Amino acid sequence: MRKLRRRIGGSSRSGQPAAWWLGWLLGAAVLVPLVGCQNRQSPFFGTVVPRHGPDELWINNSTEPEWLDPSRCSDSTGGEIIWNTFEGLVQAHPETLAPMPALARSWDVSEDGRRYTFHLRPSQWSDGRPLTADDFVFSFRRLVDPRTASKYASNGFVFAGGAAIGRGEASPETLGVRAVDDLTLEVELVDPLPYFLNFLSFYSFMPIPRHLLEDLEHRGIDPDLWTRPEYVVSNGPFLMKEWWFRQRMVFEKNPRYWDASSVRLNRVRVAMVESSTTALNMYATGEFDWPGGSTSLPAEFMDHLSGYHDFHQHPFLAVYFYWVNTKEPPLDNPLVRRALSLAVDRKALVRHVTRGGQIASADLVPDGLAGYRGLGQPVFDPDAARRLLAEAGYAGGAGLPPVSLSFNTSEGHKQVAEALQAMWQQELGITVELKNQEWKVFLANAEQMNFQLCRMGWVGDYADPYTFLELLTSDCGNNHSNWSSPAYDQLLEEANRQSEPEKRLDMLRQAEAMALEAQPLIPLYVYTRSQLIKPYVRGIWGNHQDRHPWKSIWIDSSADRSGRHSPTPEAP
Amino acid sequence: MTGYLVRRVLELVPTALVIIAASFALVRLAPGSPFSSEKEISPEIRRQLEAKYGFDRPLPEQFVRYVGNLLQGDLGLSTKYPQRSVNEIIATGFPVTLSLAAVALVWSLLVGMTAGIIGAVRQNTVWDHSAMMAALVGISVPSFVLGPLLVLLFSLRLQMLPPAGWGDWRHLILPGLTLGTIYAASIARLTRGGMLEVIRRDYIRTARAKGLAERLVITRHMLRGGLLPVVSYLGPAIASMLTGSVVVEKIFNLPGIGPYFVDAAFNRDYFLVMGIVLLYAFFLLLMNLVVDLLYGLLDPRIDHA
Repeated sequence: MRKLRRRIGGSSRSGQPAAWWLGWLLGAAVLVPLVGCQNRQSPFFGTVVPRHGPDELWINNSTEPEWLDPSRCSDSTGGEIIWNTFEGLVQAHPETLAPMPALARSWDVSEDGRRYTFHLRPSQWSDGRPLTADDFVFSFRRLVDPRTASKYASNGFVFAGGAAIGRGEASPETLGVRAVDDLTLEVELVDPLPYFLNFLSFYSFMPIPRHLLEDLEHRGIDPDLWTRPEYVVSNGPFLMKEWWFRQRMVFEKNPRYWDASSVRLNRVRVAMVESSTTALNMYATGEFDWPGGSTSLPAEFMDHLSGYHDFHQHPFLAVYFYWVNTKEPPLDNPLVRRALSLAVDRKALVRHVTRGGQIASADLVPDGLAGYRGLGQPVFDPDAARRLLAEAGYAGGAGLPPVSLSFNTSEGHKQVAEALQAMWQQELGITVELKNQEWKVFLANAEQMNFQLCRMGWVGDYADPYTFLELLTSDCGNNHSNWSSPAYDQLLEEANRQSEPEKRLDMLRQAEAMALEAQPLIPLYVYTRSQLIKPYVRGIWGNHQDRHPWKSIWIDSSADRSGRHSPTPEAP
Repeated sequence: MTGYLVRRVLELVPTALVIIAASFALVRLAPGSPFSSEKEISPEIRRQLEAKYGFDRPLPEQFVRYVGNLLQGDLGLSTKYPQRSVNEIIATGFPVTLSLAAVALVWSLLVGMTAGIIGAVRQNTVWDHSAMMAALVGISVPSFVLGPLLVLLFSLRLQMLPPAGWGDWRHLILPGLTLGTIYAASIARLTRGGMLEVIRRDYIRTARAKGLAERLVITRHMLRGGLLPVVSYLGPAIASMLTGSVVVEKIFNLPGIGPYFVDAAFNRDYFLVMGIVLLYAFFLLLMNLVVDLLYGLLDPRIDHA
């Protein structure tokens, strides 16, 4: 080998001396400025002085949203825009996410917890038209109406009659939502959901300007285009002024917003940069003041970035797990499934593989969610795992057929899958075949239950354990485990009818324990969000639903640039 | 000449039909649906969505309808961007890709031909070796390495140019250089090779013998002959530049049409995939035709009559 290398080197040196040296010179000319100026003196990553106007914020929203129509939107990038251009009945506190009055000044709840009466404050649409309770009735009916074809129609099924309308069995007018007068809205729920007000701050429940949609239809314009800047009418803190497809959107403060006096930014420019490395470059040069909540940082730079003072990290309401197809032998044996779960060293996984500060967890519901005490299942117990496997009749993995594990193409998922493959081989002697599948193929296979183990992540839509526990109910279309239990379903139903919050949480805990005993899925970790925020950007709190309303953000040019700062001075 | 042109254009029709049919079949054969996501949607909603795009009709009917719409210039609706038609998506993205292609083409011709001519005229000298060495590096370094290197140097260190985005001419320089360099390298080698092919021909010697200045011999005679392989390379190269580069447009976040080649297929955005494939096919066929016509102009021995 050494001889060979010398020969190759020798021949090129003697054959093309000038070119050889020139090549080296060229290479050095490029590399010296790149490596030579490595500068780690600043405690911040990149620039620290605002580059844009005094009350202007430049952020990233990673990708072109599918819809900006609140009834139809189902992706977080669309949600980010809707939350800042529309205002619903209640809003989530920017730090705690607790529901606070928004368009509803106050509300009354009936004794059984199923009827809410909202008292609206007088307010206007951005075109000056008064906003009334009817705009909410129109919006909620439109959400569940199958003709809207909303992927989030099921959010409206919390209202009485919603599910039947969604199935096309009843007319949207039968929905349990009623305008008592212009400023009073009454809604009737199926169950006395304790998380209803938190849920109501979700973007699906924003009002829709019915008058605009009717006007467009009247003018012969496709009303589906109503969210385009040339037509759009909204009622939130910001108004869309420009929308350059797949490039950027520009928003300006809405002078007709009811709480306009507390909005400090005048202009927000939102780019759509998909590559996280590109977004990182644009942050470093000060083009972005904040790469936005939806931009993830590249895992390979995480260790490096976490040393800077503008790096922030907080838990995120999402769980990473593997579905187990409980009908497929040998995974039809709950002992084998539990053995697999116990044999995963989750702490090593998050420390060495995912590297983003994720929280190792074998629970389905994250600990501390809305007062919920997590089950605290063991995150690694190889001895117990081997015992269970022996009990199942496969001592030391003998006689156990190979198990296949599917994941969708992505470097991160692949690394997790490979780590699990190694752990299961080492701890249990199980051979695992990895199946890397393109996203749509992966989804089709998951839907047809054409897998043994498959990876999945679930983002909670609202701050309540039910958003995760619902996954395992028998009639949940997202339940890809082939596992169902009438006792589990019944326990959840009873819990949701329970009006005492403490008792309800207890029942939900019982249900979670019951499900994890059967192990139809293998939870691995709770997500975290890592982000970079320039020191002069203030008013961003790290909350677990990644909601960062622009209306509480401001630019503080006098910010301290010497030490570690907190972008979260005091809650409003 | 006119007869040749008419014949060639008529030949394009069956080719286009085959491309349409094959890409339609391939896109539809791929497993998965444009509407699937991690969150399940109810059968009622799925029915509504399929009806909106006509996916509920039998496939042959859908094909006939697609071709019918195509003849009227309608490329259909995008499923990923439900408020936009494929025509609109291509119309907003194409100018960006076109500007990028223009910068890349000018850069690649300028650098590539200069290096190629130097290499040929000063064959087997330091100049030749350095130029060809640079070309080898240019061919070997992929754009996903060159792009970030340029960003690191010109944006992050020297802070001369924006690292990404779209707005004014400054946003075009780095992506243009990145995209153009790969082509420049090939052009340099092809120019050199083409010129060396003719450099010892009799007509070059005649040109020198009748006392032409060396500069004129190079530009008027050698280059003309040497350009033939470059021209045939440029046809498909320009077609692929015009349909954008997935990698370069992603690195520099240019809102061109390049990324759709991959993204639209991943999203099963049926009509967008078809639209982009047809656009590429159109440019490819067109550029090949142009190349064949140019041959006649460059080499007197080729006659299209």
